[in-house]
Amino acid sequence: MLTIPSTIPLLGWTWNDLLFLVLAGGLLGSALMVVLGRDIIRCGLWMIVCFLFLAGLYVLVGNPLVAGAQVLVYIGAISVLILFAVMLTQSKAGPARLVFHHQAWAAALAAVGLAVVLVIVDGATSWPLAQPDRQGTATTDVASKLFSDFVLPFEVVSVLLLAAVIGGVFLAKRDDAPRSDSDG
Amino acid sequence: MITLTVLLLLLPVAGFAVTALIGRRLGTRSWVPAVAAVLASWALAMVVVYGQLSGGNGDAGLQVTLYRWIPAGAFTIDFNLAVDNLTAALLIVVTTVGMLVHVYSIGYMAHDPGRWRFFAYLNFFMFSMLLLVLAANFLLLFAAWELVGLSSYLLIGFWYRRRSAALAAKKAFLVNRVGDIGFALGIMAVWSTVGTLNFSDVFNLLPAKLASGAIQPWEMTGIALLLFCGAVGKSAQFPLHVWLPDAMEGPTPVSALIHAATMVNAGVYFVARANPIFSQSGTAMVIVAAIGIFTALLAASIALTQTDIKRVLAYSTLSQLGYMFAALGVGAYVAAIFHLMAHGFFKGLLFLDSGSVIHGVHDEQDMNHMGGLWRKLPVTHATMLVGTLAIAGIPPLAGFFSKDEILGESFKAGFLWVWIVGIGVAGLTAFYMFRLMGKTFYGPSHVDPAVEPQVHESPRSMTVPLVLLAIPSALLGLGLGLPFGAGAISSWLDPVFAHAEQTLGRSPESFSLFGLDGALILISVTVAAVGTIAGMRLFGFHWPFTTRETEPLPERVAAFTARLRPLYTASFHKWWFDDLNDLIFVRFGGRLANGAWWFDRTVVDGTVNGTGRFIQQTGREVRQIQTGHVQNYALGIALGLLVVAGGYLLLAGR
Amino acid sequence: MSHTLDAYLVLSALLFCIGVFGFLARRNAISMLMCIELMLNAVNLAILAFGAFVPSLQGSAAVIALLVMAVAAGEATVGLAIVIAIYRNRRTPLVDEYAQMRD
Repeated sequence: MLTIPSTIPLLGWTWNDLLFLVLAGGLLGSALMVVLGRDIIRCGLWMIVCFLFLAGLYVLVGNPLVAGAQVLVYIGAISVLILFAVMLTQSKAGPARLVFHHQAWAAALAAVGLAVVLVIVDGATSWPLAQPDRQGTATTDVASKLFSDFVLPFEVVSVLLLAAVIGGVFLAKRDDAPRSDSDG
Repeated sequence: MITLTVLLLLLPVAGFAVTALIGRRLGTRSWVPAVAAVLASWALAMVVVYGQLSGGNGDAGLQVTLYRWIPAGAFTIDFNLAVDNLTAALLIVVTTVGMLVHVYSIGYMAHDPGRWRFFAYLNFFMFSMLLLVLAANFLLLFAAWELVGLSSYLLIGFWYRRRSAALAAKKAFLVNRVGDIGFALGIMAVWSTVGTLNFSDVFNLLPAKLASGAIQPWEMTGIALLLFCGAVGKSAQFPLHVWLPDAMEGPTPVSALIHAATMVNAGVYFVARANPIFSQSGTAMVIVAAIGIFTALLAASIALTQTDIKRVLAYSTLSQLGYMFAALGVGAYVAAIFHLMAHGFFKGLLFLDSGSVIHGVHDEQDMNHMGGLWRKLPVTHATMLVGTLAIAGIPPLAGFFSKDEILGESFKAGFLWVWIVGIGVAGLTAFYMFRLMGKTFYGPSHVDPAVEPQVHESPRSMTVPLVLLAIPSALLGLGLGLPFGAGAISSWLDPVFAHAEQTLGRSPESFSLFGLDGALILISVTVAAVGTIAGMRLFGFHWPFTTRETEPLPERVAAFTARLRPLYTASFHKWWFDDLNDLIFVRFGGRLANGAWWFDRTVVDGTVNGTGRFIQQTGREVRQIQTGHVQNYALGIALGLLVVAGGYLLLAGR
Repeated sequence: MSHTLDAYLVLSALLFCIGVFGFLARRNAISMLMCIELMLNAVNLAILAFGAFVPSLQGSAAVIALLVMAVAAGEATVGLAIVIAIYRNRRTPLVDEYAQMRD
């Protein structure tokens, strides 16, 4: 029987580390594709890929519940929503001439700078070095927290979702009766 | 007596007000309120003077406090008047000459449409001058000083449409102002030293402070010299003498009143009044004497070559004023005031006479176009001859007594240089005055042929004052100056100056007619006689009461002038002082002013406007941040966050 | 590497910054919304990473992450509805042409 070595033969990494690297690389790569892509449908699709990698990372961290929720909500609902919206707002002239502003360079500067700052801060702080809990979070644990400690935010978010739904419907509703004094 | 004093001061103001308000409507009778006011004022003044000089008011004289003018805590000034013997002497001159000039003006200004303005101004001047003489504190005197300056400006520029008159008035005022700066500073110095401005208090406290060592001698000298600045301006001494000859642009009565008999004497009066201050400082006295006698010489040298009849008289006034200041400087206060009085009368007479001449030859003032007028203007000629003899110092007329006293006192006080220069100036004075007489009245007539037939004597309103002035010119000396050194004038004024005489260490000596004093008199009379005879010989003369005539010798004059060409030219151009002033103050000052204006325009306004423009520009540029695009704003937020976080990191890391 | 919190946090930071860049640089409004979703996910990752490494936070981290997800969903809904509404008016989804707020 082929035994899987505990560490990768040549590099000396653990499998966990390899997985992490793969997932991280994929995540960043697809994120970059989202941001830098020309065609907006492609960007949306790359976003879906990004979410998948994130779900993988969530599992790695020990939270399969959240990973599942990520797939269901983000990929299943939000991404679809976004794709619908893209289709609804396609201008007849096709994709825009310019994908980026002239302020893109400044934006890049800001982003890079922010990254540098955050990495420095992260490096400067000493974090606890505990092993990640491979057991993961128990669903019952989450449920009990959700309905006892976090019941107020839970209810508030429910109301928020209701409001979002109503608002979204209202905003996107097409005006059937033409108004006499419509000025946009 | 108090009421009379106040009334004599206020009547001219009333006259001014009435004439100013309704004068135009009165037409030819516009002189009535003014002349009436001055006549009444004169009468009251005579009463007051008599009361004072006869000792009726006690030692301190008459003191009147009308009201509290400035009640400002420590700085309290009253409107107070005082009449002592010095004021009385001045009152005589001011009111008499003033009254006679007013009467004279009735005739002189009879054809002038602006005569109501003239009389109003004249009355205003009388008020100012009387206030000056009666004032009992420095600030009131300074106010009157300025008012007199204002009146002078108004009257010199009376014919304001004439450009030269307007310029002359401006010049007079400005030059006066220069002196007044020093004057004001002097008053401030007095105030800061003794804390009061009343004459009586200051004259007691200031010497006491010097004696006790509270103030240094140089401070006393400084105060005296600052106050003297005002006198230099008002009485037209060097270097502020330039305004007086140009002031002849005004009508002749103005020249007679203001620039001969009264206003220019204000400086002399003031220095005499402030004798306790001056006598405490030997340096100041010497400077006063030096400036005085120098001005006398300077003015006399210029008078030798002038051709305008009024200018000659103006320079002569400058010269005599110089004499008075020289007298004040050597400590001969009584002599100075005596000369002031005598000069007031005979110079006023001479000016009014010249006005009569000018009137007679139809407004011609150049002596080269006169001559041979003694036949046609008999009264004018006679009175002018009296005046000339008086100023030349020929006994027994007034000028002899007063001038001689000055010269004698300066010799005896040890100021030999003053005496020598004074003798020289006396000779020059006699010479140029007889030159004036010669060119005006004697010899062949050079009058413009068109005007010749119309030359006439002046009306009664003009000739009567002439005669009336001739009387004191002739007799004042005899009345006040005899016996020598102990005449009425001495008894009047010695008490006023007693303290100063004491400070200067002068002991009253007896007059020795056959000793030193007699010798001095002899010398001065001789010099005057030499000048007179030289003038007569070169410019012609007609011996009065005879038909004997001395013909003028123009060729001799020309030869003489040719030999002294450079001196002649310098004298003719008034030693180029006006040009010097023009160069320094007008041209150079003009450049400075232009420079300052450039600076103001470019730098100051530039800064202000530039700031405005800069802010506008910046605003315009900054406004472009508001693009309306949300993403730009979001970028701003991101960058801002970056800056803050990064900055915090950097600072926390240190 | 995966046993250190640092790695996850750095990853989260990088993802966040990619999202920031995209948000600030893209012209299409919907692209901007997609980048917002990226940013929210980065935050979620960070929260869960904290939950994994700090035992006391374990259950709460999952709950918070779920709540964040819910809010993100709501926000995406409304945002897209707005974009559609504006699109109907302007006929363009491009953000730099929405300049009405300027003057």
